[in-house]
Amino acid sequence: MGTRREALTVEWVKLELLRTAYATRGGMLARRDPRFVIGWYLVFAVVPWLTHNITVLLGLFAVCAAAVVLSRVGPLVLGLFLLGFVLESLYVLFAAWFFDGDAATALALAELTLKLATVSLASMAAFVSLDPERLSDALLSLHAPAMLSFGVSYGFRMLPVLMEEFHTVVDGYRLRAAPPGPRGVLGWRVVLRTGTTVVNAFYPLILNTAKRTRTTVEALETKGFTYASEHPDGRRIRLAYLAADRWDVLLIAATLALVAACFGLGHHWPLYGTAG
Amino acid sequence: MSAAPAIEVDGLAFRYPGAAEDSLRGVDLTIERGDFTAVVGGNGSGKTTLCKAFNGLVPHYWSGAFEGAVRVMGHDTRDLSVAALSHLVGYVYQDFGNQLVRPTVRDEVAFAPVNFGLPDHARRVDEALEALGIAHLADRYTWQLSGGQQHLVALASVMALRPGAVVVDEPVAELDPARATGIYEALSDLNARWGTTVVVIEHHAEFVARYARSAVLMADGAPVWHLPVREAMERSEDLDRHGVPAPQIVRAVRELAPGAPAPLTVGEAAGLLGGRDDRTVPATEPPATEPGPAAALTAAAPPVAEMTGVGHGYREVDGSRTRVLDGVDLTLREGERVALVGGNGAGKSTLLRLLTGLTAPGTGTVAVDGADTRSVRPAELADRVCLLYQRPERMFLKASVREDVAMFPLGRGREGADAEVAEVLERVRLAAVADRDGRLLSGGQQRRATLAIGLATRPSLLLLDEPTSSLDTASRDAVVAMLDALAGTIRCTVVATHDMHLVAEWAQRVVVLDGGGIAADTDPAGLFGDRALMDAVGLVPPQIVRLGLEMGLRPPPLSVEELVERERGALAGKGGPWARDVKR
Repeated sequence: MGTRREALTVEWVKLELLRTAYATRGGMLARRDPRFVIGWYLVFAVVPWLTHNITVLLGLFAVCAAAVVLSRVGPLVLGLFLLGFVLESLYVLFAAWFFDGDAATALALAELTLKLATVSLASMAAFVSLDPERLSDALLSLHAPAMLSFGVSYGFRMLPVLMEEFHTVVDGYRLRAAPPGPRGVLGWRVVLRTGTTVVNAFYPLILNTAKRTRTTVEALETKGFTYASEHPDGRRIRLAYLAADRWDVLLIAATLALVAACFGLGHHWPLYGTAG
Repeated sequence: MSAAPAIEVDGLAFRYPGAAEDSLRGVDLTIERGDFTAVVGGNGSGKTTLCKAFNGLVPHYWSGAFEGAVRVMGHDTRDLSVAALSHLVGYVYQDFGNQLVRPTVRDEVAFAPVNFGLPDHARRVDEALEALGIAHLADRYTWQLSGGQQHLVALASVMALRPGAVVVDEPVAELDPARATGIYEALSDLNARWGTTVVVIEHHAEFVARYARSAVLMADGAPVWHLPVREAMERSEDLDRHGVPAPQIVRAVRELAPGAPAPLTVGEAAGLLGGRDDRTVPATEPPATEPGPAAALTAAAPPVAEMTGVGHGYREVDGSRTRVLDGVDLTLREGERVALVGGNGAGKSTLLRLLTGLTAPGTGTVAVDGADTRSVRPAELADRVCLLYQRPERMFLKASVREDVAMFPLGRGREGADAEVAEVLERVRLAAVADRDGRLLSGGQQRRATLAIGLATRPSLLLLDEPTSSLDTASRDAVVAMLDALAGTIRCTVVATHDMHLVAEWAQRVVVLDGGGIAADTDPAGLFGDRALMDAVGLVPPQIVRLGLEMGLRPPPLSVEELVERERGALAGKGGPWARDVKR
């Protein structure tokens, strides 16, 4: 019975990851200069840590949530986020109750949860909107080491290959390893079996990949990768297409305005988790 | 400067670090500018090492004991870096997929020109994409492309530096014959239009005869000879001895007209053999797609697997849906040897996967041994069905071949599993290397190891995806012989393949997939006799079949022996003018 859903899910997860990684859904941030997108992201990655005011944090959370909607984040990533967020919230309530805390304790814990959630939302919106090339070029343009920016683009290039490889290995285990027995209480045997398979899959996956990279390293040498790291011409040509327009400036201006508005709200109606 | 040959090798010897003997010894070789040279030879004859010396990977990247000199367009390879040499010689790897390092096609082709800071990089990219006919793919991601397209991208990315010479390592190994023909056409085109010197490493004499102008036969790390291609083909004994059997048409002409020159194309061969006016040409129409005698014979046998109204599709990365199979009805019966053929993307692999139960069909039902794949878990179905993947290394999950073969019987707690594993390993002649990691074996050994894994599961239905791809001829023949020997153990064998030689030699029944459905269900002679069908699904029959068809033989002969026998029969009856040349 379960076979169909199970198989569909593996395919679906693979596809969702790819769609997320390659920014195929478009969206507001996808059209912006990647350097400004990174800048936008940095604002929301840093600002939440500068305040303890929960009103401000709620405001930032709302802005990032809107950005996630506008960036058309796919259901898989969003679902994972929501699952984590809900579980974390439940845990906070449980912890507050268990340790005889009151509303203040819960708020103190909620503050951290909210900060993490805001940063996660911002990461989703930003990285779903950056396809590998644009991300790696933006990093290069911001003077990240050449190895890092290449690594990013190569990582994206290998992602589908690795996923395919992983899927095959897992299928191999499903078919050839000892057949699963009873599911056990709450299906613990299924969990154990899945865990064992994933760990076992690591060995063939790494060996098969290592074999591939030998050709890649040779090819990189012939394509002048080392040469480019010593000569700046290539970098200039590669980045020539990156150009900011007024929409990019507007994006940052609007972002800063929204952040300021959040702080304004927080100033008028402050809400703090701790007594201080 | 311009007078210097493209490649000049002078007393070259090379030994990989830690190796016991030289991989190359005393190589002297000159390849003129504008030549189209094929380097042929068996596995381990040093072909790839020699070609890696052309672009400086040997000795700059592979630092071993290097003697002698290699000059490329007059430059000594030791004086230039690998990066500088890539402007002179391009290199396309056998595993070309791994040489693509960037996400999109345009970016990949632009990578080298941009790295070298060439001001006219954009023009070079457009030019290279245009020259190889892949301009329409420029914005696609490289992992979305088919193997043939990826190969063209790898070639374009090398050509964007406008090298005077390009080395292509075994294009046929990972591509089906139709795609490989496409690559060869592209190379011929570059050779003719840009004057690029082309060097290909090749196992298949057929392609050498058709496209190359000269051939270098390598054996034990040194060239045996370097000859114009027709002379090379005449020396079929040399070729045979070094693991490169002469093309079928050459063998046929040898047998039937010993004095004639070696033919390079089917047309030439037909001219040599078929130009006799006393031959009666039976002008019967081919038996089209009606089921052949083999299919009729097994029609009553009990079914092993049944597909009813099966449809299946996938969602693409851009969100659209692709329909791969639609309304497929297929019954596989006891004792059948089925070849599943069709172009790339025709749904062969999907169909095999559906039979394993790993994927359930979108619509319709798949039943193996009477069990619906939807109601039985794949792990249970694995007792009855075994699928061997196209890439053998994907089947190696453990640290040694023995463990991989033992995995299934041990996991199911079978009695006497150890003895069974030992017997299976003996049967595929791998007992000697059973404790080595499967990934470190040669291509032929890897393929036999996967066969052993399949045998140890004792399936009723054995499915093989492209079992003969990327094998040299000797290893390929070994695998085909092994498939033959399986007949007694396995109730039904299905092979998805592009290898029409395998279809001709092994299959009894041929199922042709096209456009999501079954275009024909016939036997090999029926398939090859139906030219319209072959063209429609992009298949190229073996040379000997095409020769037979050109000569008017219906149904077409499936092997050189059959053609020779039938021709001799006809000649004996007629007493034609060439009859005296024929030894009976």
